[in-house]
Amino acid sequence: MYVPIKRLALAAALLGTTCAAGTAWGADCPEGFPNKPIDFLVGFGAGGGTDAIARSIAAAIEAQQGWTIVVDNRPGAGGGVMAASLKNADADGYTVGIAGTDTVAIVPYTSPDAQFTWDDFAYLGSGMQINYGLVTRSDSPFSTLEEFIDYAKEKGRATVSVGGTNQEVLVKQLGEHFGVTLVAVPGKGAAAALQEALGGHVDATTQGSQHVQQIQSGDMKQLASLIDKRVDYAPDSKTLAESGLDPSVAMQAFTILMVPKGVDEAIMTCLAGAVDEAVGSDTYGELMRNFDNKAVNLGPDGVTDIVQQSATNYEKVLAAN
Amino acid sequence: MDTATILAGISDAFTLWNLMFIVLGVTVGQIIGAIPGLNILMALAIAIPLTYSLDTLAAIAFLISVNKGGTVGGAVPAILINTPGTPESAATTFDGYPMAQKGQPMKAMKYSLYYSVFGDTWSDIVLITVSAPLALVALKMGPIEILALMVLAFSVITGLVGESMVKGLIAAALGFLVASVGIDPGQGTPRFTFGYLTLYDGLPLTALAVGMLAVCEIFQRLAQQVRGMPAAAAAPTRSADIADRTVTFKELLANKWVAFRAALIGTLIGAIPGLGSATAGFLSYSITKQSAKDPEAFGTGDPRGIAASEAANSAVVGANLIPMLTLGIPGNIAAALLVSALMIHGVQPGPLLFEQQGQLIYGLFGAMLIANLANLGVGQVGMRFWAFVVSAPNTVIYPAALLLCVTGVYISAGGVMGLVVMVGAAILGYVMRLLGLSIIAFIVAFVLAGQLESALLKTMLITGGDYMQILHHPIAMALLVLSVISIIVLGRRRPTLGRKPGAAAAA
Repeated sequence: MYVPIKRLALAAALLGTTCAAGTAWGADCPEGFPNKPIDFLVGFGAGGGTDAIARSIAAAIEAQQGWTIVVDNRPGAGGGVMAASLKNADADGYTVGIAGTDTVAIVPYTSPDAQFTWDDFAYLGSGMQINYGLVTRSDSPFSTLEEFIDYAKEKGRATVSVGGTNQEVLVKQLGEHFGVTLVAVPGKGAAAALQEALGGHVDATTQGSQHVQQIQSGDMKQLASLIDKRVDYAPDSKTLAESGLDPSVAMQAFTILMVPKGVDEAIMTCLAGAVDEAVGSDTYGELMRNFDNKAVNLGPDGVTDIVQQSATNYEKVLAAN
Repeated sequence: MDTATILAGISDAFTLWNLMFIVLGVTVGQIIGAIPGLNILMALAIAIPLTYSLDTLAAIAFLISVNKGGTVGGAVPAILINTPGTPESAATTFDGYPMAQKGQPMKAMKYSLYYSVFGDTWSDIVLITVSAPLALVALKMGPIEILALMVLAFSVITGLVGESMVKGLIAAALGFLVASVGIDPGQGTPRFTFGYLTLYDGLPLTALAVGMLAVCEIFQRLAQQVRGMPAAAAAPTRSADIADRTVTFKELLANKWVAFRAALIGTLIGAIPGLGSATAGFLSYSITKQSAKDPEAFGTGDPRGIAASEAANSAVVGANLIPMLTLGIPGNIAAALLVSALMIHGVQPGPLLFEQQGQLIYGLFGAMLIANLANLGVGQVGMRFWAFVVSAPNTVIYPAALLLCVTGVYISAGGVMGLVVMVGAAILGYVMRLLGLSIIAFIVAFVLAGQLESALLKTMLITGGDYMQILHHPIAMALLVLSVISIIVLGRRRPTLGRKPGAAAAA
């Protein structure tokens, strides 16, 4: 979304910071970079979780490096609209995209019109891992993944409301592994999925953030951690690997920062350094605490590995559908 | 919750600082709402970054005031130039504009303002007093119940189709067709996207509604102007008769049941996450028209039409916060934006909110009630200003309105695609008017089709195709029975309408 008022304000702010712009002290940057504002393209709408992360990182970089950053929302197609325009942007380091790993690991294989793959981008780092969990109402007759599977076998089938393709794929994999019919009920996102589970219209739901409060208030319980490790807010619920599933099934969804491929090596180092410092800042840590989460920066190599792995997995699984 | 916390919270809202932001928010909301193409979501998205530096209560009070102001502002152009400022005020054009054309624009705007504030206040009081039990009731509305509700909505909305049932159904079918653009919710296959990734999320409602209603209207007016035809014109703003400019308390009370039912419908629709204020306005208008003794009076400038639409769409605002504050589920996109604003200020909405942030929440409630009063005050001043604005010559008003439409749609739909949709919709709207196809039936079908499809899909997945499951859902059964009754009643009424040409032409 293009917001003229914000641009004016930033232009005014720029006048005040030009002197500092060339002399960044935190990140290791080439002489003269940046000499103009950097665009942050957010793959999701204003007001979402990714947007909050993008704005917080942008604010931290502005404070730490003295650069000027313009945050621009380009929502649509799960971040795909942003990724498509990022791919066509100049690879000069002045255009940075923020989206989820799914944007590059899933969207290219579900959207025939997505003219990009994960390999069209270079990655700067990550801001947070989404702590997906399989949760249910606290009065449900099952409390672990195994009990849930038994319940489904007894009933013949069980329903799980999901908020996105990645979770739909996972529910399907769970059903195949245990040899039971698990029906993924897709909807307009996490909130709708949560509502259906709380209302008892489905047996369970997969959630990435809002379930934490529900667990703390005692309204819901977690059946399984869907990521590669156990989580602090539900330490007793096992990971999928602990329940005997292949470790590659675990969800590896991060909020990531990326640029079009071909950005100069020195500028990449500079941007990655700035991102790392921002993710480590107190203000960003504060935002993560509000999300009941913590800051995680895997760095350029870590993100590239995760993205490549997930993309290969999803390409295979989705092609089989 | 102890009384001390409640009182402390409410008194927090009464600081001069907060009052200032409430009045400012309401004013900004009314202005943005009154500009066709700029909607409340836009206003909120722009306002959120501005609130970063405020304290939490002032920030939230400001944002909720913008939201409240927007619902009032949207009705102004709906009444004055037959162009809803926001999609949810579309139903206000049906009777608001005819009333303005009869020489009573001020009266129409006053009706709209008063009923809007009434609906808003009513739903705020419901939110403050019974939000927790109501949220639990709303949770019972699962996909099966929503599906039944959508069936009911379509069966009562057939009353809006205009003088010919066949033409109305054609228009609604077109709405369905256009709504199917985008990713199909079941299989994830793109439909009618023609290789454009920007179409994956469907056609933007704002661009479509502005194109069909506003741009189309503007083109027609300009065409009339050029041909030298007596322009139907922006309504005259001055009437010699004082009764044409004021609304007496007695006149307001005459429609108390209509307004009350509308507020009730709006509150219920608002408490169920995901349905939205446009749905509430249309549903309330159709139910009111259907249940009236004289449905043919609607569309000719009947105050009941304004009451039905405005009280319902405004009642959604407060009620939308019910699932958000009690369960942590945002009721619509506006509420989702408020959630993000709360999180930025370190407040996590969810089931623990009342326990952890009781004082803040009661502060918010206090601010909401003050915002309603501010809406009334700012609205009173504002409507004189707007009436003055539209008294400018048509050659100034319509080009200016067109400029605002283009800018608004470009911003809110995120680029050129929105403009293409807007122009396409304007052309389609023009053709539909020539053929006598109801534009309202088209837009209502467009708004509801997505929800109907999603609810149908979920119902099939949850029940596994077993239709007898409906026996376990008494609410859904009741809604379906109501739909059958309304179709029978409507079917009987149709011929009477047919014999009175022009009665339903406004739709």
